[in-house]
Amino acid sequence: MTGSAALALAAALALVATVAVVMRPRGASTVDFYLAGQRVGVATNAFAICGDYFSAASFLGVAAAVYATGLDGAWYAVGFAAGFVPVLLFVAAPLRRFGEFSIPDFLGRRLGSETVRLVAVGVVQLVILSYLVPQTVGSGITWELLVGEGVLGLDPYATGILASTAVVTVLVAFGGMRGTTWTQAVQFLLLLGALVWLAATVVAEGFHYGEAVESISSVPLDNPAGSTDGLTPEQSALHPGEPAVFGEPGARYGGLGQFALIVTLAMGTAGLPHVMNRYFTSPTGTAARTTTVWVLCLAGIFYSLAVMLGTAARDLIPAAVADRPWLAELTVDGVLRVPEHALPVLGRIFGEDAGLGVVAAGALVAVLSTIAGLLLAAAASWGHDVYERHINPRATQRQAVLAGRVTTLVTACAAAGLGLAMRPESFAAATPSIVATMVTWAFAVAGSALTPVFVLAIWWRRTTAAGAVAGMVAGLVVAVGMFTAGALTSGGLLREVLVTPTLLAAPVAVVTAVVVSRRTTPPADVERSWQTMHGTAADRRAERIARLMLAERRAARRWRRARR
Amino acid sequence: MDDGVDTSDTPAEVDATFRTLRRVAVGYFVVFLLAVAAFPVLSLTLDWWSSSRLVGGMSPGFLVAGFGLYVFFAVLGVAAASLSSAVEHRMLGTSREPVDDDVAPGSGEDLP
Repeated sequence: MTGSAALALAAALALVATVAVVMRPRGASTVDFYLAGQRVGVATNAFAICGDYFSAASFLGVAAAVYATGLDGAWYAVGFAAGFVPVLLFVAAPLRRFGEFSIPDFLGRRLGSETVRLVAVGVVQLVILSYLVPQTVGSGITWELLVGEGVLGLDPYATGILASTAVVTVLVAFGGMRGTTWTQAVQFLLLLGALVWLAATVVAEGFHYGEAVESISSVPLDNPAGSTDGLTPEQSALHPGEPAVFGEPGARYGGLGQFALIVTLAMGTAGLPHVMNRYFTSPTGTAARTTTVWVLCLAGIFYSLAVMLGTAARDLIPAAVADRPWLAELTVDGVLRVPEHALPVLGRIFGEDAGLGVVAAGALVAVLSTIAGLLLAAAASWGHDVYERHINPRATQRQAVLAGRVTTLVTACAAAGLGLAMRPESFAAATPSIVATMVTWAFAVAGSALTPVFVLAIWWRRTTAAGAVAGMVAGLVVAVGMFTAGALTSGGLLREVLVTPTLLAAPVAVVTAVVVSRRTTPPADVERSWQTMHGTAADRRAERIARLMLAERRAARRWRRARR
Repeated sequence: MDDGVDTSDTPAEVDATFRTLRRVAVGYFVVFLLAVAAFPVLSLTLDWWSSSRLVGGMSPGFLVAGFGLYVFFAVLGVAAASLSSAVEHRMLGTSREPVDDDVAPGSGEDLP
């Protein structure tokens, strides 16, 4: 790594660490550690949700998927962005108004059942681990490309995973939700800044988006064929026997596969624990809803840039190989061996080592902020839902926070271990982007097991604890079963649907939850829950208090001025 | 402290609001699903959708996937959030709310 690349990376990490230290929680209360005191404003929370959500899959993975499969890769971007539409319509405001610490906490209290809480903890932990592993893989890839050297006898990939996991674990354990909120907001701005810089640079260097799409769509789409040298043309899934083309759908998915992928990603967002936990930090339900609108707008900007840069990489890298010897070992006939290298390579082509440093810093920041959110969500569900409720119900606030900190450490070690066991090169032939694909697994489990039950608990009074447990288990079993079957099936329509199982698994979960709920008795206090979730009295009180405090502050300021 | 703001909503008010919001959410969700499902249908049925060239050489399909859907999601989100908040504002908590400068007198006339 050269001095300029190291400087860019060090500056980004120093900024994040400073924010974490300055904004660390002042007290030892669990509301402060897990929920940042429930006083996070709309803009800050929107930036923090983006920092949480735009992971390595969004930063490296979307551009990689577009790079490898053209228009079909853009479905990841569409699905990731679409996810906040169901969140806005069905979840954000009622979830915040009901309050609590986590998804299991919400379900447990709404349905009055510790069994629901514990089953939800199990599902949430599975989602968190499925989401954490691709983040660690992303950090290994970035370190490998940026630094290229390992420490203590480890290879660069392993060093990247261990270093990033260790740094973020320390930041989360000491920063809690308050520190993490601000670091994630700053991390998102750094991430967006890196993307905007790269987009502006390639455009300034003469890249024409439309012409590039037309030019690379005039020839068949070729990609490296596994471990052997040379390129093989992708076959169109929409028109059998014809080669796939960059600018047209079909390089990876048929019609049903496109829809199944978008539904899987869109439904999964509402069940992602690290994203949903952020809504509990909003001051009111209305603020949570407005925050989601901001996130939708920011997601549109972010993903449209990522799709453009994936296209730019496909168009510009082949011509750059001749003048840049370092590209030879990363490419086969001008096409990258690992699609996730698309953005870092583009950064180095147009910004030399400093450019690589900026993009790599963006990628590491994306990884760190998402890992931070996931570790906090793990801490909230283990620390609050299991330790405080079942292991040590008389725990002091200090003991509960300590339990959360220990949980972050254990979860981080598990994710790092799994990340070390996975090598992206081994999956390059099987999937357009291993990082984006692995994140899809997390979305599938969340969208199949958690989202249906979550939405029913908010919008259907008759939902019962037994129905929720049955729905979660049915959704989980069908999703994991379909995944496993998909892994054993070779191409075709059947595989497309099996590997994006929410289209089938979510309806199964809904039907199961409804059938079982109809045969069991709903909680006695359902009307009170309805008042809390769908009424706005608490919002009005919070807004009234905020207005009074603001007026008081203004009056005090006027009084001080008058005295001077 | 009675500052003139309703400290609770009646069950009837909440139920009416809940039903209205559910209609709003389901309505917008159907529009969202139709828009997302339309893309693969158009890809399969209209050659023009994938192979013709519009702005700067991009096909209508690429333009929609690269830009159009994000704009659509944002517009849908703004519209749904505005309508939901307006419904809550009109149907809940206005019966004893003090009249602010920016709230028109008589805005509670439409309460159920």
